[in-house]
Amino acid sequence: MENFIENIAELLEEENVNLNDELTSFEAWDSLTVLSIIAFADEEYNVTLLADEINSANTIEGLFKLIQTKN
Amino acid sequence: MDLKYKNKKISGILTVLPSKEVSFEDGIENYNFSLAKSMKLKLAMGYNKRRIVEDGVCSSDLAIHGLKHLIDSKHLDKNDIDALLFVSQSPDHFMPPTSNIIQGELELKHEMLCLDINQGCAGFIIGLQQAFMLLDQDAIKKVVLINADVLSPKVSIRDRNSNPLIGDAASITIVEKTPESNEIYSSILMNGSEAKVLQIPAGGFRMPSTQETSTMKEDSSGNYRSLDNLVMEGDKVFNFVQAEVPPIIDRVLNISGKSKKEIDYYLFHQPNRFMLQKLADKIGVDRDKLPSNIVENFGNASGVSIPTNICYNLGESLVSNKYNVCLSGFGVGLTWGAMVMELGKLDFNMIIEF
Repeated sequence: MENFIENIAELLEEENVNLNDELTSFEAWDSLTVLSIIAFADEEYNVTLLADEINSANTIEGLFKLIQTKN
Repeated sequence: MDLKYKNKKISGILTVLPSKEVSFEDGIENYNFSLAKSMKLKLAMGYNKRRIVEDGVCSSDLAIHGLKHLIDSKHLDKNDIDALLFVSQSPDHFMPPTSNIIQGELELKHEMLCLDINQGCAGFIIGLQQAFMLLDQDAIKKVVLINADVLSPKVSIRDRNSNPLIGDAASITIVEKTPESNEIYSSILMNGSEAKVLQIPAGGFRMPSTQETSTMKEDSSGNYRSLDNLVMEGDKVFNFVQAEVPPIIDRVLNISGKSKKEIDYYLFHQPNRFMLQKLADKIGVDRDKLPSNIVENFGNASGVSIPTNICYNLGESLVSNKYNVCLSGFGVGLTWGAMVMELGKLDFNMIIEF
């Protein structure tokens, strides 16, 4: 989980992120961030995510749970 | 399915690029994104320069220019052409076939076969497969494979998903029989249930172009395009490539009896640098054996991207040397294919401008 948060913070270009932060609230959020998350989930967890699923996950925690349910 | 061919070879490759070059920055103000975000995209994807045609230039114009160059420079005798394959998603007309138009323009003999094939990103693999099969006939000794795509007019300049990568180009590949005994190995797979992941919705018979289909609409990511424009579901294409391409590479290597290390170059279709580097890592080959620099220099011209890759990255060295290569094309269809062959000692391997 710590590792996950660190990686996501890096993808979002933030020092720190919190579990309940909304994904779309980040300055860096756009379709490229979504693609980076898809690539990250594929590389690190061997999980296939779709853009719609990531957008519906809403928060950092939602994203973590999404990957967990597919892992 | 796996396909094998005996005693066939590629004897020359010519790529024709439009002379008009545009840069990523040229179109940046059309996108509905901050400058910083667009520059980040440029760096991540490897977008830079690309080649597109001037208004009104069609696929056959690039192809005829290339063929005339080969005929005039005595690299090709037009009487030797027994079959002309034209692989494209941008034909001049719905009817007649563009291959017949090219045949007529060049006054080629009547004793030949002209065939249009509608394929995209895997179009070089599909075209080679068809060429090799035709060469099994006694009457067919030389096949001219044309890959040509002029899709830039179909891409919305306000679509940051597709516009920064689209390129136009054509290539001419001479395919013939060889007395040397050799084997070429290929695998091809298709999944039409995902056909609409990459498409131009309107403009065909199913949905003719109207005032309504030309109306620009914003999508959920902030891109503007109409139904007349090319549309790509980027996430699904990315997942498809990462899931399906590594297994087909393993499969074709397996039937060829070659190991990953024995392959000198992995010459793949060029969607963008980001996707290709991830793919190299996933397949487990050095990134420098799998070139990913075509989009940043010329853009992605669909089925022409593999020949462009071969001409640009290997150039003259393919005239003097021979290499074990693994080719792979993947995309529109969805179609994905791969081929392992010895490539080299070519009569020519070059790029010219239109």
